[in-house]
Amino acid sequence: MKRNYTSPLTALIAGILLLTACSTNQEDKVLLPVKDDPTISFSILFKTGAQNDPAGKEGLGYLTASILAEGATQNNSYDEILEALYPMAASYGMSYDKEMTVIYGRTHKDNLDAYYQLFMDAILRPAFDEKDFNRLKSRTINYLENNLRYSSDEELGKAALYDFIYNGTQYGHLNAGTVQSLNSITLDDVKDYYKTHFSRNNYLIGLGGGYDDALVDKVEGDLQTLPAAEVSMPPVPEPETIEGLNVLLVEKDCDATAISFGFPIEVLRGDEDFFALALFNSWFGEHRNSASHLFQVIREKRGLNYGDYSYIEIFPNGGMRQMPAPNNARRQQLFEVWIRPVQHVHRHFALRAAMRELKQVVDNGMTMEDFELTQKFLQKYALHYATTTMARVGYALDSRFYGIQGDYIELFRRKIGELTHEQVNAAIKKHLQYENIKIAMVTQGAEEFKQQLVEDVPSPISYETPKPEEVTEEDKAISTFPLPIQEESVRIIPVEDMFESPDYM
Amino acid sequence: MANPSEDVFPYDYKVETLDNGLKVILVPMSSSKGLVSYYSIVRTGSRDEYEPGHSGFAHFFEHMMFRGTKKYPGSVYDKLITEMGADGNAYTTDDYTAYHLSFATEDLEKIIELESDRFQNLSYKKPEFQTEAGAVYGEYRKNVTNPWMVMFEKLQETAFDKHTYRHTTMGFVEDIKAMPTMYEYSLSFFDRYYRPENVVLLISGDIDEKSTMDMINKYYGGWEKGYVTPQIPEEPPQTGPRMASVKYEGKSLPLLFVAYKGDDFDPSDKEAMAGLLLGDLAFGSNSDLYKKLVLEEQKVQMFGEEFGVNRDPGLWMIYSMIKKTEDVAYVQEEIASTVQQFQEAPVDAKKLENLKKRRKYDFLMNLDTPDKVGGNLARIVAVTGGIEAVDKMFATIAEITPADIQAAAKKYLDVNRRTTITLEGRK
Repeated sequence: MKRNYTSPLTALIAGILLLTACSTNQEDKVLLPVKDDPTISFSILFKTGAQNDPAGKEGLGYLTASILAEGATQNNSYDEILEALYPMAASYGMSYDKEMTVIYGRTHKDNLDAYYQLFMDAILRPAFDEKDFNRLKSRTINYLENNLRYSSDEELGKAALYDFIYNGTQYGHLNAGTVQSLNSITLDDVKDYYKTHFSRNNYLIGLGGGYDDALVDKVEGDLQTLPAAEVSMPPVPEPETIEGLNVLLVEKDCDATAISFGFPIEVLRGDEDFFALALFNSWFGEHRNSASHLFQVIREKRGLNYGDYSYIEIFPNGGMRQMPAPNNARRQQLFEVWIRPVQHVHRHFALRAAMRELKQVVDNGMTMEDFELTQKFLQKYALHYATTTMARVGYALDSRFYGIQGDYIELFRRKIGELTHEQVNAAIKKHLQYENIKIAMVTQGAEEFKQQLVEDVPSPISYETPKPEEVTEEDKAISTFPLPIQEESVRIIPVEDMFESPDYM
Repeated sequence: MANPSEDVFPYDYKVETLDNGLKVILVPMSSSKGLVSYYSIVRTGSRDEYEPGHSGFAHFFEHMMFRGTKKYPGSVYDKLITEMGADGNAYTTDDYTAYHLSFATEDLEKIIELESDRFQNLSYKKPEFQTEAGAVYGEYRKNVTNPWMVMFEKLQETAFDKHTYRHTTMGFVEDIKAMPTMYEYSLSFFDRYYRPENVVLLISGDIDEKSTMDMINKYYGGWEKGYVTPQIPEEPPQTGPRMASVKYEGKSLPLLFVAYKGDDFDPSDKEAMAGLLLGDLAFGSNSDLYKKLVLEEQKVQMFGEEFGVNRDPGLWMIYSMIKKTEDVAYVQEEIASTVQQFQEAPVDAKKLENLKKRRKYDFLMNLDTPDKVGGNLARIVAVTGGIEAVDKMFATIAEITPADIQAAAKKYLDVNRRTTITLEGRK
């Protein structure tokens, strides 16, 4: 018997979720037919992710999913797969997070038969070729050792914050694992993980676009040939309580300082307060939107960097994406502020500016005018969150996870429309704060910066071009805004130690 | 004419032209769930900057279009767009300028009103004009630190003698610096090019054809004709290979561009369409040369081709970023020998068929949102003035044989059409 995807989760987070398990009998699938769509979107979700990695083998689930998505099958070498996909202009891939692994793909109807064979081979008949394993393992290690440490300070800063906050929990390592744990993973580990986690008891089918009913039956029948195995659900992560302002400085030879800060929150998608916080967050720091408040204060008025955003749900690949990606649903979320790199000379000022804005909105709430404008904006802007059938299927799968019924984007727009100014300000007061926060910064001269932070020295700012008086007056307040940081609350980690072993933090 | 049942473009569309010459293409999409994409395509780009001293003006003017009108000043326009939760922007290319917005169906009339207003009644004073001109020079200074930008500048001015493709869309630096003094000229630029006969509206998504056309007529009907055709000089035939090299001040791996004079985009011209496929077959990501240089030998960091769609004969180019300076000559030789190979023998028929299929499905798979329909059709609509060229192009491509590819290689990849540019950066 297939396990109902929603109910065990709902039990674990009872009291948080608004709605309970799906009432239809379609418990193993999410279907979004679109009559005149000439393409078909597949998303096969397995309820396993980084939280299921065994201790010492962090990165195992990620490597396994990588091999399914980018490796040979029993019927074709990986080169042959690419060659076959080329004329279809189609592909398949994987999306991977703490709690879920999704193998997804999309094809034009004309090519369905040939595509389906390749796609299902990837899930049901992986070859676990030694060459593919070595290539993907070395690529993943290279990603940690080179890309993340040395060529993307923005992503590095965010990754540092997540490890800082979730250290010691099942969320406490990057999805890709650590250098040492990856090195210890063998091909047999991967085969074993596949057998025990990609099981017929553990999937959810997402189908969208111009498919017919026969395809649904076929997908269900084929997935039933997977081995049987119950996958145990780790407990909901309980990150350590934050006391005061805790700082992690990643010392690195770099041109600019990347800043991320945040703290865990007890609100998940679907919760009544979620929508109130979503409205606040859209005003405070809607991702890549120049109308948002942090962007206005730090970039627009002062030109300190390229952008400044905030989040109430994890938002991977923020540097690459304009809109949030689905299939990162989690049982534990965080409030996060992301300040894109600023010149070192402005790091203290930029941190103060963002923290001061947070304090002001927590203390005073949003103004009626900002509330009304954001409510109008967000109700419609949310239409852009899921414009493709593939994205809608992704959102629908996430709704199963959160126990939300119906079309999520429609629900979101309706809920945003129903909010009152008081509800939003009450939710801000209840869930957000500015005293107990973890701050991660990638910077050069960490020791010197640590002293400045601990002594809370003023950080006056000057500009190349003159600024209006209103800005320079506010600058004075920002530059002396108190950030009480104790010496023992600041840690410095050299970049070469980052992600090295499961206990590097 | 192609059999309609064989047409590739999957949506029923409607084309109407107003009395003033404004062409409107409507693409209703039942799957678009309350979203509309609105492209205003001005068939003017840096190609049209034929008057000496005014390069870069099309791009600069794109900035001015956000300054607003007496009825809706720029700040009011921005606030209304924000309230609508619309996602919008603009961009300028060699052949056209596009203004695009994606928004909820219920706001369609307001968007039509706003867009028709700024296209007819743009209004700005000299000081705002000068501030914006300064910002454009800032944008240039930011871009000029990019080695690719330096390469494009060098390539275009080396390859062309007369045609306006000689300058990049950004423009010559001395022209950009002088922009703040050109207020009067900017008014005449708007007056000559922002006219209904030179603009195509491409509206796709959750729309009703009739009511949309009624609104278009209401708001754009009074826009007066007045387009003045620019006097773009014809490029004389190139008579021999050209070469130039650039010393780049910043850090960069060596860059190599090998470009050939291509053809203008004519969807019924089999030879020109074969030229477009040729680039992909010989130098694309599935080509033998790509696999050799990038995957097997790993001497090249980046390798690709751009055999593009242009209104006048433009450049078809092969670009590469090479790991070591001493391999630059080797990569040039490899490109030359691939050219020779395509000139001497017809390409494998299966490869050609696979590419034709890929082109078709790549196009079809990327029309799933209104915004993608707008974005993917904009260039062809701008270059040809309509949407019919899409099906015509695919019909012509379907007939191309390996012999046509060989003929195209002989014609277009002729050494006398070639310009080679290399860049060496600071180590």
